[in-house]
Order: sequence, then structure tokens, then C-alpha cells
Amino acid sequence: MQPPLGNERPPPPGRPVSAFVPGAAVPPPPFAAGGPFARPPQSGATAPAFGAAPPAAMGGFRGPPPSQGGPFGAGPPPQGPFTTSAPPSQGPFASAPPSQGLFASAPPSQGPFATAPPSQSPFTSPPPSQVPFAAGPPPTGPFAATPAPFRPPPSSLAQPQSPTGGALPPPPTYARPTQGYYTGAPPANPQFPMSRPAFQQPVQTMPPPPMGPAATFGNQAAYAGPPVGGTLQSLVEDFQSLALSSAPGSLDPGVDVKGLPRPLDGDEEPVKLMEAYPLNCHPRYFRLTTHVIPASQSLVSRWHLPLGAVVHPLAESPDGEEVPVINFGSAGVIRCRRCRTYINPYATFADSGRKWRCNLCTLLNDVPGEYFCALDASGRRYDIDQRPELSKGTVEFVAPTEYMVRPPMPPSYFFLIDVSVSAVRSGLLQVVAKTIKSCLDELPGFPRTQIGFLTFDSTLHFHNFKSSLSQPQMMVVADLDDVFLPLPDDLLVNLVDSRHVVESFLDSLPNMFHDNVNVESALGPALKAAFMVMSQIGGKLLVFQSTLPSLGIGRLRLRGDDVRAYGTDKEHTLRVPEDPFYKQMAAEFTKNQIAVDIFSFSEKYSDIASLGSLAKYTGGQVYHYPSFQAPTHGDKLKLELNRDLTRETAWESVMRIRCGKGVRFTTYHGHFMLRSTDLLALPAVDSDKAFAMQLSLEETLMTTQTVYFQVALLYTSSSGERRIRVHTAAAPVVTDLSEMYCQADTGAIVSLLGRIAVENSLSDKLDSVRQQLQLKLVRSLKEYRNLYVVQHRIGGRLIFPESLRFLPLYILAICKSLALRGGYADVSLDERCAAGFSMMILPVNRLLNFIYPSLYRVDEVLTMEPNKIDASLKRLPLTFQCLDTGGLYLLDDGFTFLVWLGRMLPPELVNNILGLSLANFPDLSKIQLRESDNELSRNFMKILRTLREKDPSYHQLCRVVRQGEQPREGYLLLSNLVEDQMAGTSSYVDWILQIHRQTQS
Amino acid sequence: MVFVWLTAFFLVVALIVLVIYQLMCLADLEFDYINPFDSSSRINKVVMPEFVLQALLSVLFLLSGHWAMFLLSFPLVYYNYTLYQRRQHLVDVTEIFNQLGREKKRRLFKIVSLIVLLFLSLFWMIWSVLSEEDE
Repeated sequence: MQPPLGNERPPPPGRPVSAFVPGAAVPPPPFAAGGPFARPPQSGATAPAFGAAPPAAMGGFRGPPPSQGGPFGAGPPPQGPFTTSAPPSQGPFASAPPSQGLFASAPPSQGPFATAPPSQSPFTSPPPSQVPFAAGPPPTGPFAATPAPFRPPPSSLAQPQSPTGGALPPPPTYARPTQGYYTGAPPANPQFPMSRPAFQQPVQTMPPPPMGPAATFGNQAAYAGPPVGGTLQSLVEDFQSLALSSAPGSLDPGVDVKGLPRPLDGDEEPVKLMEAYPLNCHPRYFRLTTHVIPASQSLVSRWHLPLGAVVHPLAESPDGEEVPVINFGSAGVIRCRRCRTYINPYATFADSGRKWRCNLCTLLNDVPGEYFCALDASGRRYDIDQRPELSKGTVEFVAPTEYMVRPPMPPSYFFLIDVSVSAVRSGLLQVVAKTIKSCLDELPGFPRTQIGFLTFDSTLHFHNFKSSLSQPQMMVVADLDDVFLPLPDDLLVNLVDSRHVVESFLDSLPNMFHDNVNVESALGPALKAAFMVMSQIGGKLLVFQSTLPSLGIGRLRLRGDDVRAYGTDKEHTLRVPEDPFYKQMAAEFTKNQIAVDIFSFSEKYSDIASLGSLAKYTGGQVYHYPSFQAPTHGDKLKLELNRDLTRETAWESVMRIRCGKGVRFTTYHGHFMLRSTDLLALPAVDSDKAFAMQLSLEETLMTTQTVYFQVALLYTSSSGERRIRVHTAAAPVVTDLSEMYCQADTGAIVSLLGRIAVENSLSDKLDSVRQQLQLKLVRSLKEYRNLYVVQHRIGGRLIFPESLRFLPLYILAICKSLALRGGYADVSLDERCAAGFSMMILPVNRLLNFIYPSLYRVDEVLTMEPNKIDASLKRLPLTFQCLDTGGLYLLDDGFTFLVWLGRMLPPELVNNILGLSLANFPDLSKIQLRESDNELSRNFMKILRTLREKDPSYHQLCRVVRQGEQPREGYLLLSNLVEDQMAGTSSYVDWILQIHRQTQS
Repeated sequence: MVFVWLTAFFLVVALIVLVIYQLMCLADLEFDYINPFDSSSRINKVVMPEFVLQALLSVLFLLSGHWAMFLLSFPLVYYNYTLYQRRQHLVDVTEIFNQLGREKKRRLFKIVSLIVLLFLSLFWMIWSVLSEEDE
């Protein structure tokens, strides 16, 4: 027999697991008593625990009626304190199939039950191993009557781990039916026997204190409530709770800090869904915030979190899972006539294969003759195995000429480089020229790639790269008000033809301007000139800007140091583009298929808010290197520019998400421009960009059982082929709020919430943005609490769904993220805006790592064997208490590595790794880590390399800080320890208490 | 006097036409008949003329001494002025879809108040014509 509680560990015998505070010892709800809802034994060893249950405690809990022949039927007749609360006919447990193991809770083998004679147990007679299954499900059990809301067409949701072993109809949800319900009870009170929490997560391994406030968390509790209103609803739910009641008169908040849920394993992709919906695309491409669709508007209004999706259309797939490419040839791409949906695995064939039914709009379409294939007895096409578009959620179609408005464009790169004095002094030009030169071979799209350069300070310098020249010609245009091109072509040239000219230009670029003392920067006119050069082809425009644009159209003011604006209604205006020129320019760029990437290097304010809007509406990206100095930041710029230039890029693309009847995507969040209400124009898109969107219901009541989504990205590949990448997913429609919570995807929710918050910060004060976030969290937990508050006595605990256990911490982390934290003094305006732009494009896993960075203790693993190091790196909670003064720690937020040296760290370790001694008080801000010739240093650099390889989209700059080195330690490390209390923000414990108080009110 | 009312009447008609034109552009955009670039450039072209006409209308009422009508038309002028001050008078092509609802609502309110003005000036025009004939 499979233990039904497969995901639990057997409770350690004889250890009181939780305790209620005295004040909380009121009669627990019926299911609180451990006895009758005996946890199905996992082994013979735990089975005798049933025998220890005192009959008095189980009196009120009537199992299924004896007629069902289950061992529960042998329970004593209703009597005792719970009789009234659980009438046999309506008792909460009578209605649920016992074999679901829902009432799992095992009394400890010691404690109140130890005195009960085993012979009184009703459970002693059947062999323990048969207890849970001996009770067959009542034929009219709750699941028989429950409308099964999850009915994916092709695949059944029957769970292999279902404890019923097939005796029951598959449960209607994919809620794990096998969790034990946990509640605590004072060990001293035999009337309310303590039930056993189902230890499951790593955090539960620590025993709560035996006395006083208990913090036991992570108990997956599944239980079935009483039938409401006579109808048997889907009552299976699991929730977790966190005891927060403190002992009266005690200052202790009553929370076990170590027991709080922490996402130390990073993002949890909902890959389980792939088992339920094998035809869906992988969640790395498409994630709903909750993988069900509410059936009615009223349900939507009770779901206070955002309802939507995160789409990452070009996510890198691991080896072996490459996206199949399909060419339909003469049949053309097969799409629905009415709603233009592409053929997908959920489409069904009818009329012996001559027609196919669109799964989104249910229209019956003709199958083209070339595509026809006969159906087998079950209605499947015989060739289904040869056709990936009918069996895989993610495919790529080769688009014929109807999908082109012009011949596919060649990949083209145009560089707009600020050569004013600050760029020259910081060594920026050398790094850029060298990096571009080293990338020339790897630029995608050989041999069609186009390239061009324009440099500018107070004038514009055009460069002629005509292939017949041996040296590039520079032409200076000083008229900034009326920009014109000095020559009609040869400014953007084919790389292969003009390779030698381009190379000689890049070689001479740093020297060309090395004695430039011009401090002005005419970015606006330069953008106009670049637009004129590129408008015919489109492509990618890379802007290297090292000062605030000061000349011509689009000049900007120093407005970032306006302290007075903070906290007033005008605060947000600092975060939106000041000059409409940049938005207009962005619109023009998008129209002409030009994507803009901004590289900003200024040590002073450079108005990223304005510059970034160029990237925001063209599908670009903002890179910010504050106070760039080539020796320190050179590597980072080099590798990130290299990535930007060489990654596979989809050109002149548009993306549309179709969904089935009744739902509609309303708002979109990310870097793109809306071409029509649901069409995202993306001049260039690559694997580092994700998009988020919100759903709304169009009808008050959904009539379908499943809603399908189809993401289609039409693009030109670098090789010059027009392609359509199609991701298809299905989600069930549910009528129950608890299902929505059950299927919630924290990563997607956090990603969407973060983007909404960043957008709100453009029109509102930071403070109110944070409050809105908190309000959303509170409302959703309150709604969830209301689902249970009737049946459970949950006074002193915060309850939350297992799927959202990390949500409170992540929302706290969003509030403390670079983009939203604090006020004026906490983050410089440019950094805040740059972080905001990054948060708008980051895929889910990188966003989560950005807001809740990984912290590792490194010194202990450095001495290990190199191949064991990776396995022994453990993420730590982000709190100062985790930092040991004798340790070396590494904080990785995806953009920066921060190496923290404890005060008591052995000097030789520091010497080996840094190559210098701390005793001389060196300036650690300028330090660069190089691999030196010793084991520790080699291992350390290996760790850094491994972490960098995990996420190639950014190169983490390594910064070193010593304990107590203020103020660097403060803003580099301490402000990233999101669980700690900082100026004006709450610590994790306070946050939980705050949320808890608000959910109760 | 008739001449004043006649001018006012034509001004109001012109304003209504301009606002309806803007509304049509927005509706076309919503139903995907034109792209946002064209839609916003068309709208932005007529925004300033509309504001100027509106101001002219108010000035006309003020100078001709029709205080009640001036008070009725002045709030629109003031509203336009505040929009201009905040640089929100032009539609933003990059955010036009997010602002579609707001922009439409704005113009619907405008059109309702303009229609009220239209009927009032029509009424006064006929009234003044009749009273002149009586004299």
C-alpha cells in the first residue's frame, strides 16, 4: 500500500510538536482532535498511535457510517463534547471519503494518549496497513457530487499518488489530497489531544518550543469542511498557518523567526502542471498567476491579487528541449478562419479528419488537402506523432510571404557613442571599441549584418564606412537645429563588405577623441540623425551616454536633486520623462522597427527616467553603470555588451495573445509598444525579456470549462527567416475561490505585482505604492482567512495557502527593492529608475533573485574539494543574524556580487582571496578580484564563475565590503537584507505581525 | 445682437465637430481601424484649434456682456488651460491605449457641455431675432 501521506514525514515519536498558549485553550473545532481522524499509518510503527487515542476524545467524530464497512464505522457512538458540533449526518468528516486521508493527524505516542489503554481504541482491530483504505468511498461521496471543474480535454487529472488507488473517482482538484491537518493543542489537556503537524518543509525540522508561543508553520492541512447549504462543494483545501499569539505579558512577539517561510530554493516553476496538462507549453514560457480561471466576476472580485500572466516568449530552453520548427509548405500556416488561432494540440479533428475545430472559438474549419490525415477510432490523427504542432505546446512555424510587409530585414546595429570628456576620461571608449571589435565575428546574421557608428559631443560626427575606402571618413555636422545626413548612404553598411574600415575605425576611436575636452552632449539631435540613418532598415540602436544631454532638442535639466519634491504630490514627476521629445522619438523608433538599448555611465544625474523611455517603448533595455571607471566596471560592461550583441535576437516582431471566449487581456506591462489593443510591437526581442499582462472576464459567468491561451510571436530571425513562435496553454475554469488559491503561482504574482508597482510609482508617491501592495496582500489573505474562519478556530494564527507561503516576504522585498525602497536619500534617482526599468523586463526567476538576493556563506566551502563546492553552497535567510563575524559571505542579486568580510575573518584567508591585507586599510571600493595562485582563490573564483554561468544575461560586478565599513556596508549590504528592520521599514517578523493584525480586523 | 449669437452658434458647432472628430479617431483606434501613430497625430493636430475656439467663444460672451453664457462656457476654458499647464492636452502615442478610457470620457463630457451651449445659443439667437422683429 502506498502511504497516502507520501509527502510527509512520519512524526517523530514522543515529541510535543506544538503548544497552545493557555489563553488559546478553548474547545477546538471538531477536527482538532486527533483521534478519530486518524492519520493513515505510514508504517506499522506509527499505527499503534491510533490505539493510544482515548475514546473520549474521539467521541464526536463519527466516521463514515458502518454500512460502508470502514474501520471508522467502528468508532464509538457520538458522545462527548463534540457531539453537537458534528452530527453524524452532517459531520464534516462524514462527508468526506476517509481514504483521502484528509483528517490525517496522528496523536503523539506520548503525552495525553499515553495513558489510554490501547484496547479501547476502535482502530485496533483492523490491520493498520489497511486502515485508510478499508473504508470504501461512499458512492455519493463529496467528489461524486462535486462538479469537476478541472477537466482538461485530453488528459485526465487522475493522480498517480492518489491514495485511493483507483477506488475513488479522481479527486476534482489537483490539490494534494494527502496532507494531514494540523492544529496545536496544549499537551497538558487530555480533552483536546494534540494532533501532529505534518512536517514537510525544511523549515519544519526545528521543533517549536514546548512551552509558550508556538510557531509551527508549514503544516499542510487538508480537511473537508461541512457541506454548505446541502450541496457538496469541493472542500479539499490545504492551508498553512503560522501561530502568532504571544504569551500574555510577554514582549516576545510569539513568532519563531527561524520558522518563517523563506524562498531559499529560489523560484518554483509550476512544473507539476505539466503532468496535468502535458500538452501545455512549459511554464518557463507562460505562467498564469493562478493556473485556473475564475468562473464569475464575483469570484474575480474576491481574488484580490492580480489575475494575469507572465510571458517569456523566447526563454532559453535547455538542451534536448529545442523548439521544433515546422514548415507547412504549400498548405500555408493552418489557422482558424475566424479568430486566427494557430493549430495546436488542443484542436480536435472531426468529419473523419476533413475538419478541425478551433479550441478557442469552437469554429469548425476545413483541413487543407495537403494537411489531411485520417483519424483512428478515438478521433486522433494517425500522424500525430510526426506532427509536433499537434503534440507540443511550443512550436515554431515558418511563415510564408503573407506574413511579411517587406523582405525580412538584416540584423543591423547602430552605435551612438557620446565622446564628451567624461566618456574619454573614464576609459569608456576603449572598452566599448574593444568589445565591439571582439564581437564582430559573433554578430548574428552573417553575412547580412549591417553596422554603423555615430559619435557626438556638441556636434555630430558621421562616419563613412564605404567599402572602397581604406580609412573611415569622419564628417562633422554642427547644425543641431536642423539635422541632415552629410551623405545618403554608407553610414550603415554591410559588415562583411566594410569589415576592414569598421575595424580600423574601432582601433582608432579611443585615440580619435582622447584629447577631447568638450563637456556638452547633443543626444537629441544625434537620436534624430540615427533615426534618419536607420529608418529604412530598422534594427538595434545602442546609445552610450555618459553625461546629461545638454544641447539641442531633448536637452534635460538637473532635476534629480530636488529634495523638496519627495513626499509631495509632485514626487512622481521625477520618475517620468521630462521632455515629451523622448516619448515621441520612441514612438517613431518603434514605427520603424528600431529598438533602443541605453547604456548610461554618468557619475552625476543623467535622467535615466527620460532616457529609459526610449528603451521602454521600443522593446529595449537600460544598462546603468553609475560612476563608470574602466578598471572596475570594464569587465561588466564588456560582458553585458557582448551578451547584448551576440544573443539570438528576434527582429521586427509583433506579439499577440489570444484567449478563449469570456476572457480578455486588458493591460500589458513590460518594454514594448501597443500597436493595437492587444498587439505588442517589439522591434527587437530576445531571451532576456519577459512580459506581463492582466486578464479580465468579459462575461459575468463563464460557460466553458477550459480556457485556452495562445501566445504568438511573429518575428524575423537573424538568419532572415520569418517565423512564428506559438505557445499554447489551457487552464480550467473553477467556481471555487479555494481552487484559485491552491493553484496560485507566487513567482508570477510577484512578477506582475512588481511591474504594476513600478508603473504605479510613475504616477504616485512611493509610499502609497507600497501601501497599495500591502493592501493587496492583506485583502487576499483576509479573503482566504474568511474561507476558513467559520470552521476553524484560528484566532492566533495567520493562515495562508501553501502556494502563497512566500508571498508576504516577497511583497516585503518588493517594497524594499531598489526601485521602491525608502525616499529621497535611500537610493539615487537614477539607480531607482534603472532598477525600475530592469524590473519591467526581468523573467520571473531573475526578478525573484533580484528582490530577494541569494546569500551564501563562502569561507566554509572554500577549503573543500572543488567538485563538492557547488553542492555545499546553501542559501541563507537575508538577515543580519545569519552573518557570523568570522565568516565570508557572498550576496548575489543577479547584477552585483557583494563579498562581505566578517570582522573576525582569519587574515590569511583575506590575503589569499583579495591578494592584499586588510590591516593596511585599503580602499575596498576600488578592489578587483583576480585569481591568484592558491587553492582558496581558485575555489572562490570558481564559485563566482558558476554563479555567473547560471544567469548569463547580466555580469555580476564584484564588490568587497568589510564589516563595519560605513557607509558602504549600509547601502551595499544592509539595505539588501530585506528581513531586517531598516529605517522606517519593518522587519520580516513585524511585517508578518502587521499583516496578521490587518487580516483579522 | 443677432450677429453675436450667430457667431457663437457657429463657434459651438465647430467645436462640436472638432471634438467628435477626436472621438472618432479614438473609436477607430479602439476597433483597430487605424494605428496609434496616425490616430494620435490626427487628434493632436486639432487639439490646439479646439482650445483656441473655446477661448474665443468665452471672450465673445464676455465682451458681448452675456454673463450667464460666459459663466457656462468658462469652466471648459479653465479646464483646457489646466490641461495645457500640466502638458496633458496632447494624447501620448506611447500610452494611448492605457489612456483610451480617460481620453474618451474627457471628450464625452466636453461634448455634453458643448451641446448644452449649442441649444442655449440657438435659443438666444431665435429669441433675439424675434425680439428685434418686435421692435
